[in-house]
Amino acid sequence: MPLIYRRVFIILSLLGVLSVSATDLPKGPNDKPDLNGVWQVLNTANYNLEAHSASAAMDLVEGPIVPVPHPSLLALGAVGAVPAGLSVVEEGTIPYKKKALKKRNENKENWLQLDPEIKCYLPGVPRATYMPYPFQIFHSEKAMFFAYEYAGAVRNIYLEDPGEAPMDSWMGQSWGYWENNSFVIEASGFNDQTWFDRSGNFHSDKLKVIEKFTLLNEHTMDYQATIEDEEVFTRPWTINMTLYKRIGKDAQLQQFKCVEFVEELLYGKWRAK
Amino acid sequence: MQSSSKVTLLGFIFLSIAGSIYSDSYEIKKTWFGDPDLQGTWTNSTLTTLERPTNFKSLVVSDEQARAAALIASQGNDAYDNYLKEGETPKKGQDVGGYNTAWMDPGTKLLKVNNEYRSSIIISPKNGKLPWDAKKRREYFSKDVRRKFKRTDHPELRGVGERCVVGFGSSGGPPMMNVLYNNNYQIVQSPGYVMIMAEMIHDTRIVRLEGVHLPESVDPWMGDSIGRWEGDTLVVETTNFNWQHVHRAGLRHYFAISKDAKITELFTRTSDSEILYRFRVDDPSLYKNTWVGEMPLRFQSDKIYEYACHEGNYAMGNILAGARAEEK
Repeated sequence: MPLIYRRVFIILSLLGVLSVSATDLPKGPNDKPDLNGVWQVLNTANYNLEAHSASAAMDLVEGPIVPVPHPSLLALGAVGAVPAGLSVVEEGTIPYKKKALKKRNENKENWLQLDPEIKCYLPGVPRATYMPYPFQIFHSEKAMFFAYEYAGAVRNIYLEDPGEAPMDSWMGQSWGYWENNSFVIEASGFNDQTWFDRSGNFHSDKLKVIEKFTLLNEHTMDYQATIEDEEVFTRPWTINMTLYKRIGKDAQLQQFKCVEFVEELLYGKWRAK
Repeated sequence: MQSSSKVTLLGFIFLSIAGSIYSDSYEIKKTWFGDPDLQGTWTNSTLTTLERPTNFKSLVVSDEQARAAALIASQGNDAYDNYLKEGETPKKGQDVGGYNTAWMDPGTKLLKVNNEYRSSIIISPKNGKLPWDAKKRREYFSKDVRRKFKRTDHPELRGVGERCVVGFGSSGGPPMMNVLYNNNYQIVQSPGYVMIMAEMIHDTRIVRLEGVHLPESVDPWMGDSIGRWEGDTLVVETTNFNWQHVHRAGLRHYFAISKDAKITELFTRTSDSEILYRFRVDDPSLYKNTWVGEMPLRFQSDKIYEYACHEGNYAMGNILAGARAEEK
């Protein structure tokens, strides 16, 4: 759905004009919309937040006619190829400062060495939301807790402002509150080690993310995240996407503790011969 | 708790063991959807060890013995931190240790159940010792492929905690055991689920209420936990253990859980500030009998911060690279 239509849809939904009005939304604790469930995106934002064509691999090297997959990825064939996707950034592209854009491009060129996802590092925010794995929201009267399948990452969303984070961390410090029927999370206290996607989009430790979760109906939720980082970007920018609720018997968060899967990559060179 | 379910539970888990008696007068609060409320941040830090040390002859110990145990632990901390005199330097080859006690938080007191101090977490067998079956234990581990190697040969041979896969010493459980530090847990409930996160490695168990176990081919770290309410007690049954998660070594305990084990845990809110946590281990591949333990989870008002382990695991590379360098 084009952005303008989606915004109109959300506004009308919130105003109760459409048939799925706020009063029809599943009710959770304290009479607020119920965010409980296993959620997942259906998009390619984790490959690249910006618009991108399909390509043969995330890491390409020069070929005789067109770029070809990096030798490390060649054996994967079509499995290692990248699906196309439209930009989830509201204004199309990310407003990098000039020097930061250069770094993003270097990151992208050295993806295999640098993407923290390859090493199974914690994904950070907002990337955790649109990794190609589901996450489960535990929404109670006392807590809002997110458990992500990828790397077993977690976020406990404080329901009162805890003040400045006492230290930087991979998943940051989050606190949230209801603004009408949207649950807003202010996340900060990040280190500078996580990326936004596999295309090298990055941030500094000045990152602040304002997220807004708006239940649209029983099975879909609007996700909006505004990214502020004056060290890297010329202005705040916003991404927008839809979260889908997993339903049916297989709507169960599985375990993806990928640390063991990268031991060969990280430590294999030191194995006993 | 209703008396009928108490009978079921006691019959179910404690058999003829003198289990804990808790106050029936505490009215357990309910969640927004009506389940008994176990939510909050909890700790199981305690000086009490899984098995009973030889200096204690009974499960219940006197207040005087408990005070003495706390004093000895505190003096031990001082000796550990100040093993060198002012100006003295370590001798060549001397072990300088890994942490000083500022980084440790094992607890300062013996645990209390029914307002009585306890000398062990194990309440059955009555001697407070693990009922190992020596022959079966030998047989079980003789088949372990890891025995063929030196522990510095491959990353998979290091402890699960050193690998940053799951917390060491069974911190995330089951059974959830107290270890050297980070003995903190967060419980959040939603309709159909109880989420239990251990601070250590953010190990999270999502207990599916009234669910069925995963097929045998799926063997997650920490096993597969399903649960049900019996009265006001949450009963969690875990099977499908991962064969690599067999060794559960903390500094003050060692036990093992085979891949075929079944562990049953009971969580009962006994006051605003405590959950009584009880567990039973059925693991005939390693033990002569089932064994049962109990400890309180105490409410914490402090926050749990991120425990990112793998992201800074320089030790694993150094251990292996060091071993290869020594072989040259």
